[in-house]
Amino acid sequence: MPNLTRRSLGLAVGAWTAVGQPPPQAVVIATDEDVSTLDPHLIRNNHPVGSLIWSLFDSLVRRRPDGTHEPRLAIAWDQPSPTTWQFHLRPGVLFHNGEALDAASVVQSFERMNRAPFNGESQLWQQTGLVSVAAAGPLTVALTTAAPCMTMLYWLEEAFVGAPRHLAQTPPERVGAQPVGSGPYRFVEWQQGERVVLAANDTYWGGVPPVRRAVFRTVPEQSSRLAELRAGSVDLVPNLNPDSASGAVSALSRAVQVPGLRKMHLGFSQNGIAPLRDRRVRQALNHAVDVATMIETLQRGMGTQLASVLNPPNNDPGLTPYAYDAARARDLLRSSGHQGFAVEIAFDAKYPDSQESCETVAAYLADAGLQAQVVAYESGHFAETLRARAFPGLYFYGFAALIEPLVELVIFTSDAVDNASGYDNPEFDRLVKTASATSAEAPRRALLRQAERLVWADAPWLFLWHLPEISGIARRLIYQPRPDDYVEIYRARLAG
Amino acid sequence: MRGRTILLRCVQALAVLLGVSVASFAVAHATGDPVTLLLSPSASDAARTAMRAHLGLDRPVTIQYALFLQHALGGDFGQSFIYRQGVAGLVLARLPATLILAGSAFAIALCVGMPLGVLAARGGMAAAMLELFSLAGLAVPAFWLGLMLVLLVAVELRALPVDGYGGLSHLVLPALTLSLQGTARLSRLVASGMRGALRADYIRTARARGLSEARVVWVHALRNVLVPVVTMAALELGDLISSAVVVEMVFAWPGIGRLAVAALQQRDFPLLQGTVFIAGLGFVIVNLLADLLCARIDPRIGLAR
Amino acid sequence: MRPWLGAIGGVLLAMTALLAVAAPLAAPYRPTQINLRARLQPPDWGAPGRPRHLLGTDNVGRDVLSRIIWGARISVSVGAAAAGLGAVIGTTLGLCAGFFGGRTDAVVSWLIEVQLAFPFTLFAIFLLAALGGGFVPVVCVLALATWVNFARVVRSQAMSLRAQDFILAAQAVGVGPVRLLRRHLLPAVLPSVIVVASFSAAQAVLTEAALSFLGVGVDPTIPSWGAMLNLGRDYLSDAWWMATFPGLAIALTVLGANLLGGWLGARLEPRGS
Repeated sequence: MPNLTRRSLGLAVGAWTAVGQPPPQAVVIATDEDVSTLDPHLIRNNHPVGSLIWSLFDSLVRRRPDGTHEPRLAIAWDQPSPTTWQFHLRPGVLFHNGEALDAASVVQSFERMNRAPFNGESQLWQQTGLVSVAAAGPLTVALTTAAPCMTMLYWLEEAFVGAPRHLAQTPPERVGAQPVGSGPYRFVEWQQGERVVLAANDTYWGGVPPVRRAVFRTVPEQSSRLAELRAGSVDLVPNLNPDSASGAVSALSRAVQVPGLRKMHLGFSQNGIAPLRDRRVRQALNHAVDVATMIETLQRGMGTQLASVLNPPNNDPGLTPYAYDAARARDLLRSSGHQGFAVEIAFDAKYPDSQESCETVAAYLADAGLQAQVVAYESGHFAETLRARAFPGLYFYGFAALIEPLVELVIFTSDAVDNASGYDNPEFDRLVKTASATSAEAPRRALLRQAERLVWADAPWLFLWHLPEISGIARRLIYQPRPDDYVEIYRARLAG
Repeated sequence: MRGRTILLRCVQALAVLLGVSVASFAVAHATGDPVTLLLSPSASDAARTAMRAHLGLDRPVTIQYALFLQHALGGDFGQSFIYRQGVAGLVLARLPATLILAGSAFAIALCVGMPLGVLAARGGMAAAMLELFSLAGLAVPAFWLGLMLVLLVAVELRALPVDGYGGLSHLVLPALTLSLQGTARLSRLVASGMRGALRADYIRTARARGLSEARVVWVHALRNVLVPVVTMAALELGDLISSAVVVEMVFAWPGIGRLAVAALQQRDFPLLQGTVFIAGLGFVIVNLLADLLCARIDPRIGLAR
Repeated sequence: MRPWLGAIGGVLLAMTALLAVAAPLAAPYRPTQINLRARLQPPDWGAPGRPRHLLGTDNVGRDVLSRIIWGARISVSVGAAAAGLGAVIGTTLGLCAGFFGGRTDAVVSWLIEVQLAFPFTLFAIFLLAALGGGFVPVVCVLALATWVNFARVVRSQAMSLRAQDFILAAQAVGVGPVRLLRRHLLPAVLPSVIVVASFSAAQAVLTEAALSFLGVGVDPTIPSWGAMLNLGRDYLSDAWWMATFPGLAIALTVLGANLLGGWLGARLEPRGS
């Protein structure tokens, strides 16, 4: 403890005295949240922790922005049987400390993900029904699942491989502070609460990333992040909201929008007040809110209205958004027998525009004759209530920023952990369960489409919009943001 | 006699620390169930049970407290849930940033507040203006002032860096913001002390002995005011650390305040406890030192010499 | 303290109180009236006789002036309630400690020291997370900060009063301790309590704003100055009016309470205390 104390103090004082100006070619990424740990198996959020892990480590496959799968540590894979997979590893890959990648190192990392506390954050084993990981050769990994799994590649994209000797010999709390992977960047330093610095990996198998040095800085105030972007001391500010996009435009910087994937909605809790268990009431409320106008004003026209619970391009083009129709909403409410009831609209500060969205929806519901009350939850309390499916009324949330129809639908099945509304339709469950066990492409698609239409008509959510994904980017930086919050700085380069 | 006093003060300080530990333990455990936030929403129930056992949350509260106290005395505040590191190391790594900020603000408050107070004690229009200034200083919310300074000085004028941690230039805005209330309070305290002191007999005596007015004011009268100033300064430092929470949020200052807010949002129990406990400990020590310092500079002792 | 400063304070406070009471009449719009087509409009003094949004609109098109007027209700009641609760707790404990001395005094002094040893903002956010926010919890937590002010002042006054003739005389004729405290000591310390209450209310208003800023204030969905300020911080560069005017309202009210308190202190308290 005394040693630790002196070292910590020394580090911090050192950081203070050496004036922290990064070398000119460093690219600086500013985020609101602190980095909690750099352990590859304890990723708490897509950004900044996920972005850092993606840069420092590699997975067998990497998720492309369009949801397809890019070979990384694995160069090829096949499925000898519906429940077994073989992955052939890229030869000659070295970790940053000089260790070589082989099948044993993949087995070691995957097995680590199945132990506490790592299995709390890493979902590979729970989600795929994985039962064993084994080396089938020096560069071949064999995976076995309990039942056929259609989403194996999706979950492998979040399964990272660390340097085996380093993982085995370093105490767990040091692993998160001194990460050693095989990714395009090496770890340089981490000043807690302030910055993480990465340097290009000169021996990366995919070539040296063009940006030689990347600095992830924590800046809690949005206005400060934007001010720094305009002043040129920050190059990339992800997760802007439409109102702040104009603040990213200056002589040195611009705002870049890509179509978002996160489906913003107000869930109708099925464990709360009785009226919300009536499908007509849920449909009525979908008709009672002018989502299009909200997008035009609050979202400054940057969001797209949800027309399905599936993200494009997998959505059913025959489905259309619920139209704003106050008369229809009143008729539906009258026919349901539930009118003028009081309903709570819960939100937390997770999304910057959650409060204004909820307040506006409350005003529309008041027009429909309901007594809507907006209630702010502290973020921890919100997460707890969400997990316990214990909201009494509506709750504002965003879901599934991914392109994988089965994963997007599974969360509506009655026993899915993420089914926060508590939506429970046995017919829907049956369709999705059958689809996930069907390996033939065409019948599976047909089943999924049926399920998609069913859940749209049942309306377990008040459907809102796709959260627009807006980043502020320095003009000197050439980078195309992803729709799912991850920042892949190794795909960026400096202009000129 | 002196030894006894010191011993007594130390015992009192320990009693206060005990209260701090009970309160910080109780508060942290009243904020809800940490396991739901410690694990991702899709974690299995088995993982939850294992985590609960891992944290000792399945044992009686009294035992959890006894464990907490025993560990705290050994400098072990447990592992942070979110940072996956020892809490003591985390807090101590952030402490210098907060101390630099609070210390600078404190120095500004002393250097500006004391002379202002002395001037204000002399009456006249300037004194009235100073009084109004100090009252206005007390009335402005620190974070609002901070945001306004960011807007004007950093964004519009581009005169200083907006935020962050680094050289002296990064320190100016947050330290100024934080110091305002302390400056105002200190100048008021000094002013009222000086008014009383300038009426006192020994000052009249000093004047009668033909000492220069400057010497009377800045040496003899000011010395009389030092005792309440030092006592309040110790409390002021605690106040500064407390206000620093908000200022750190505005200026992205990587101190314990931001650490605590992050811990709060994620319900990181050990980290919350450790932060409050260590901050409380530091505060008790500063107060103890201030008490001992007061005994040294008491003007009556000075006059007796 | 100059009387004219006290008068300014009195006027400021009276204006705030008047706005709080007459909010439905004084506010040009309903504070919750949303107008998506008129969001983020800058302060507009309009043509004479036809005022529009004098202090601009917020992110959902609500009138900032109306919300500040309604917000006065929250700030005034939080300040008054926190100071009142703190006064009751602090005066009771301070009187008992000062009058009975001994073990009572030791316990109260210990409580004061423990309370002062906490970095209050940290302590408050923990407690509020536990209590879940809202008006009553916030007032209780603020009272935790203010009671100490009362307890310290009252305790030292009660100590010196204890030995004075009128108390000794009352004791000699057999007046019981409860009656003695209520009928003789309490009136004697009341002027100081009023002065401390004025400063404590100011402190409570400021702290409530800081708590709102950290996201654990009264309730972000009702118009309070702290919540408005917090909302405005993300719009600082494009809609400066959203954060600036609520901040000014807080500063003026707190200044008013401090001015009044200072003047009262000079008037009511015996010299030299």
